[in-house]
Amino acid sequence: MTERETTKTAVAESPRVRTRTETQAWGLGALGWAVPGLGHLLLKKYDRAGGFFVSIAAMASLGLAMGGKLYGPPFDHSQGSFVTLLHLLGFVGDLGAGALFFVARFLGMGQEYMNRALGDYGTVFFLCAGLLNLLTALDAYDIAVGKKE
Amino acid sequence: MLPLLALLELSHLQAMTLFAFFTSLVFAFLGKQGRREQARYFLWCFLLFMLVGIGLGWLMYPFPR
Repeated sequence: MTERETTKTAVAESPRVRTRTETQAWGLGALGWAVPGLGHLLLKKYDRAGGFFVSIAAMASLGLAMGGKLYGPPFDHSQGSFVTLLHLLGFVGDLGAGALFFVARFLGMGQEYMNRALGDYGTVFFLCAGLLNLLTALDAYDIAVGKKE
Repeated sequence: MLPLLALLELSHLQAMTLFAFFTSLVFAFLGKQGRREQARYFLWCFLLFMLVGIGLGWLMYPFPR
C-alpha cells in the first residue's frame, strides 16, 4: 500500500472524521456553490466558511463596483463563433458564484460594457470569484466524504 | 441599466493588491490545515502574486500600447 493510500485510509477510518453518504456530500457541495462558505458552515468549519464567504463576496462586489460585465445569455453571435465560445466559458465561470451571480443579474448589474480598463478588471474579479467558489464547493464535498479534514 | 453600486475608482496597483489579498486568502484556507500553516501560505501566495504582477508590468513597460 502506498503512503497516499495509507493516509486516505487513515483519514477515512479516523473516528474524528464523520463521513457522509455520497448524496449528502453532493448536497453540501451544491449548498457551498449556491452560497459561498455555506457547505463549510454546515460541516462546522467556521473559520473556512467565514474566510470563503468574505473573500468571494468581496471579490464579486468589487468586480461589480468596478463596472465589470457579467457574461450570460443572450449571446451576441456577431463577432464570430470563437468570441461566442469565450463568452460561454465566461458564463460558466460567472455561474460559479452561485446566488451572487443570480442576484446581480436580477438587479440588472453588469449588463453594460464599461469602456475603461477598470471595467475589464471588474469582469475578471467576478469571474475569479466564481471559479474560486467552485473550488470551495469541491472542498466541501471532499470534507464531507472524508477525503480531507 | 447602470450598475446599482457607484463605480469604484482604483489604481491598477490597488486593484491588483485587492485581487492578490482575497485570492491568497482562499488559497490558504483551501490548501493548508492549521492557522500557522495557513498564515504562512497566505503570505507566500500574496507576495508571489505581487512580485509576479509587478515583474510582468516592468517586462511589458517597453512595449507600446
